[in-house]
Amino acid sequence: MILGNYLASVALFCVGLFVLLTRRNLIKIVMGLSLMEAATYLFMVSLAYRAGSTAPVLAGPPAGKTAEQLARGNVADPVLQNFCLTAVVIGVAVTAVFLSVVVRIAQHYRTLDADRVRAMRG
Amino acid sequence: MTRAGLREHRAVAHAAAREATEREPRHRPWLGALLAAGTAAALGVAMAGIPREHAPLPLIARYALEIAIPRWKLTEPVNEIVYGTRGFDTFGETFLLLAAVVSVMMITRPRELRRGYFGEAAAGAREQRQDDPDVGSAATERAARSAERREQGDQAPVGGARAETPDATPLGTPAPETAEAMTVVVRTAIRVVLPILAVAGLYLVTWGYSPGGGFPGGAVILGVLLLVYASYGRRKISKVIRPGLLEPLELAGAGLIIMTEFLGLVLKGSFSANWLPLAPMLTPLSGGVAQLFSAAELIEVGTGLTIAVFALLGMSHDWARDDGGQALGSSGDGERER
Repeated sequence: MILGNYLASVALFCVGLFVLLTRRNLIKIVMGLSLMEAATYLFMVSLAYRAGSTAPVLAGPPAGKTAEQLARGNVADPVLQNFCLTAVVIGVAVTAVFLSVVVRIAQHYRTLDADRVRAMRG
Repeated sequence: MTRAGLREHRAVAHAAAREATEREPRHRPWLGALLAAGTAAALGVAMAGIPREHAPLPLIARYALEIAIPRWKLTEPVNEIVYGTRGFDTFGETFLLLAAVVSVMMITRPRELRRGYFGEAAAGAREQRQDDPDVGSAATERAARSAERREQGDQAPVGGARAETPDATPLGTPAPETAEAMTVVVRTAIRVVLPILAVAGLYLVTWGYSPGGGFPGGAVILGVLLLVYASYGRRKISKVIRPGLLEPLELAGAGLIIMTEFLGLVLKGSFSANWLPLAPMLTPLSGGVAQLFSAAELIEVGTGLTIAVFALLGMSHDWARDDGGQALGSSGDGERER
């Protein structure tokens, strides 16, 4: 039942959202964003799954099968795997941006509490 | 520690604990829970209607699987999608990555030395007085600062005075600086593992066996460098991890990607079309332009992630000035005189 995976990714996403909405510690907010990111990875990989399928690899097909038969047969969705793969790398870089901003805020305001960082409020 | 010192220490700890429970934990938890539950319900309903494990593959996926060998001589359909069918998407993502790396570089950059006189203190004095009056720090802040200074100045065990000379320091007390390298066990293990990891990562990218090619390959390069950094210390990798080397390499990777994709437009009339001859399957040059794109992506991702992570690790103690005009832990250069 792949629906379980879908619902797990929804739960993970909403845990991240809850953290984002209720916490004021900037590090925890970044952790919440990372959780939401991880939820989308889980969702995309689950969406790529097909019952009884093989990985989308055409090298070295099993005996009695050609690579063309493999390509037309039951395989997992390679497009969603592509999305997930690039998203992971981008996610690392974006998390680095978040964390460097957090470090600069901590150095400037001497607090990680988002409520106290309000110099822009006028 | 004296009795008064102990009392002060307790007061600071108590204030810190009260502040943590007062400020940190939750901010309108019911509203947050309500919104999160609403989102969960909406997403849950949406999830009920999307394709499950028995649905046929989307057409784009089937198309990519079927043309991977005839058109690209690639046995890895994921690579065919990343660098072929959806090459333009990958092209865009590359520059998203570059933008993120540039942002990290800009944000983490150390302060520049002052090169001229602008008279900004005199010009902004009135505004400074209005917006940011110089109020004295609160009592808890003073207590916290004195505790911090005590901690920094006195590493000796509680109750014992600091040793007079280094020769008199008892065995087992921590050195004034943190250890740079890990133990010999870890260093030996890293020495064995590292070449295997690096060669395996690069081999998979070169032969096109790894789904995604340069993306996971670049992450492996970052992993190798981080292992060296963690086990041997910064000095061992300072020849490699320096902006003068990594930044031109990163831009060279980006330039190679632009060239690879743009030459398709020039030579074949379509952006990201294959303009290289296709080598036989399961060789390093099979896939034509896809492998070139993958190699360029390896450079781009490897150097980009390395720059970002080490910029973050190397952020200095660049604290904004506080009460006494003395920034804690900073060298104090570039500080204004009051």
